Amino acid sequence: MKILIVEDEKELADSIKTYLEGNGFVCEIASNVNTAIDKIVSFEYDCVVLDLMLPDGNGFEVIQVIKKIEKNEGIIIISAKESLESKIDGLQLGADDYITKPFHLSELLVRIQALIRRKNFSGNNTVNFNEIEVEILSKIVKVNGEKVELTKKEFDLLLFLMGNENKVLSKSAIAEHLSGDMAYMLDNHDFVYAHIKNLKNKLKEAGCNDYIKTVYGLGYRWQNE
Amino acid sequence: MSKKLLRHTSFWYTATSVTALIILSPLFYVILTRLYNEDIDESLIQRKNEFIGSTLPSISIADIETWNKFNFNAQIINDSSIKNDTIFNSSYMDTVDAELEPYRELCTPIKIEGKNYTYTSRINLVEKEDLLKSIALLFAAFLILLLVGMFIINRKLSSKIWKPFHEILSQIEKFQIDSKTLPELKETNIEEFNRLNKSFENLISRNRNIYRLQKEFTENAAHELQTPLAVFRAKIDLLIQSPNLNKDQYDMLESITENITRLSRLNSNLLLLSKIDNSGHHYPKKTVNLNSLISGKIDFFQEQAKQKGISINIDVTNNVEIYGNPDLLEILINNLVINAIQHNIEGGKVSILLANNSLIIKNTGKPGPLSNEKLFIRFSKSDPSGKGTGLGLAIVKKIADLSNWKIHYSFSDELHVFSLQL
Repeated sequence: MKILIVEDEKELADSIKTYLEGNGFVCEIASNVNTAIDKIVSFEYDCVVLDLMLPDGNGFEVIQVIKKIEKNEGIIIISAKESLESKIDGLQLGADDYITKPFHLSELLVRIQALIRRKNFSGNNTVNFNEIEVEILSKIVKVNGEKVELTKKEFDLLLFLMGNENKVLSKSAIAEHLSGDMAYMLDNHDFVYAHIKNLKNKLKEAGCNDYIKTVYGLGYRWQNE
Repeated sequence: MSKKLLRHTSFWYTATSVTALIILSPLFYVILTRLYNEDIDESLIQRKNEFIGSTLPSISIADIETWNKFNFNAQIINDSSIKNDTIFNSSYMDTVDAELEPYRELCTPIKIEGKNYTYTSRINLVEKEDLLKSIALLFAAFLILLLVGMFIINRKLSSKIWKPFHEILSQIEKFQIDSKTLPELKETNIEEFNRLNKSFENLISRNRNIYRLQKEFTENAAHELQTPLAVFRAKIDLLIQSPNLNKDQYDMLESITENITRLSRLNSNLLLLSKIDNSGHHYPKKTVNLNSLISGKIDFFQEQAKQKGISINIDVTNNVEIYGNPDLLEILINNLVINAIQHNIEGGKVSILLANNSLIIKNTGKPGPLSNEKLFIRFSKSDPSGKGTGLGLAIVKKIADLSNWKIHYSFSDELHVFSLQL
């Protein structure tokens, strides 16, 4: 899977690259509109992670080029401008997702995974991990072929953990993933613990191995035993 | 002590007028008397000249008695003591009324047939007294009429002339720097007021500009912070992946993560607040069903409440629809309910009451009422060491103000009550 990161803040671009490359992606970085367009014209990518404010122009220009030459790249906008208008503009122009800075790398990773899944599979698609099978569209989780009843939050949590395999996820990253826009109102993330506990119990009851590891007080990690 | 401007001018006008009246009246009398006397004296001299010119040459000593008899106000007296023309005041008994009457009299030496005589001529001044009295009276009446008239005109005119000024004054009193509308100042036909209008308008636009820049500064600053925060977060996300971290390092990282999250939260809230401030009125409005909005959120609220063992009770009577921006309304309700959950006690209660035109959220919490005036002010936290951003209720207030809803806090039955009048 190839990703193009269009971001002029080198430190951020490098961090995204490092994180994504740990989960099976190949990343390239473009730090301005011209380089980005050159790369898009010349190579194939599965997904473009696009900052809107670039030194030589607006990220919208990149979207327009992608649409014009009928490329199939998925586009995720990462922007510091949280304004409703630029979000709508971006999505109308053909961006597939929009994520506001500052974001967690884990969040960006699962958004990219979801986007690529959507792009590559037209029907119901599944994510497998050993004895676990997750059907994304119908939101069905099976352990050894047996259905496990999960709440919507638990389902989201499971996908988030599985997507970030072997990565330590801080409680705040999980909390923000689960509560979305409302995370900025919450002054404690203890509710994450309750969801983790429930999910762990349900998987265990279904005869699933315990892949969810607790990392001190910091967070959790999905890890193959 | 301050008085009204009109009272000031009226006072000074009256004081000056009365003083002028008191000083001018005697002066007027004196001048008038002198003028009259001069007139009388002139006619006395004229009469004398006529006598010397036409009568004296034809008169003989024998004629004197007869002449005196027929001339009441002119006499030839056998007196040689007068050497020059003399004019003086005198009084004579009036034969008809039997009272003394004032006269002006002229004595002049004459010669009849070589013998020295004195010619006297007099003019009754009674007429003068009457005349002066009438003139003075008329003058006084006229002056008083003039003063009163001027006083009334002055008052009327003043209030008319100062009308634009009072309008400007009331506009200034009503003016609020963050209001959307500019004060409307009417063009007047008085230069000074037009200048005042212009200066006031300039002052307002300058201040609004500064205020706008100030507001934009907050928004821009918050924006600019987003990118370094993103880098910070990304680095921490990477750092916690390091394989060989020990317990102490994890603890430190946990604290860093917590605080970077808090910082991000503070920044997004600040950004939201300044955005509502700067462009909140551009947000599109539509009819929003509050029931479905709240029921759509209830899982999230329950999830948050569960941590503290708080029970949420919802009492919705009717289908309540209001007109507003759905995103902002959602933020408002989220903030109010999350606030009620976060500032609650272990095992406490939150109740959400939705009735026609009002949304009331009650919660158990710290005993005693909160300070009503500080509650909605940004960064005024009830618990200074708490993890809240101190912006939640400021955002609530901002949205309520923007949408013309009234938010009110009270403390009753040991419950903190926030009511929103829609």
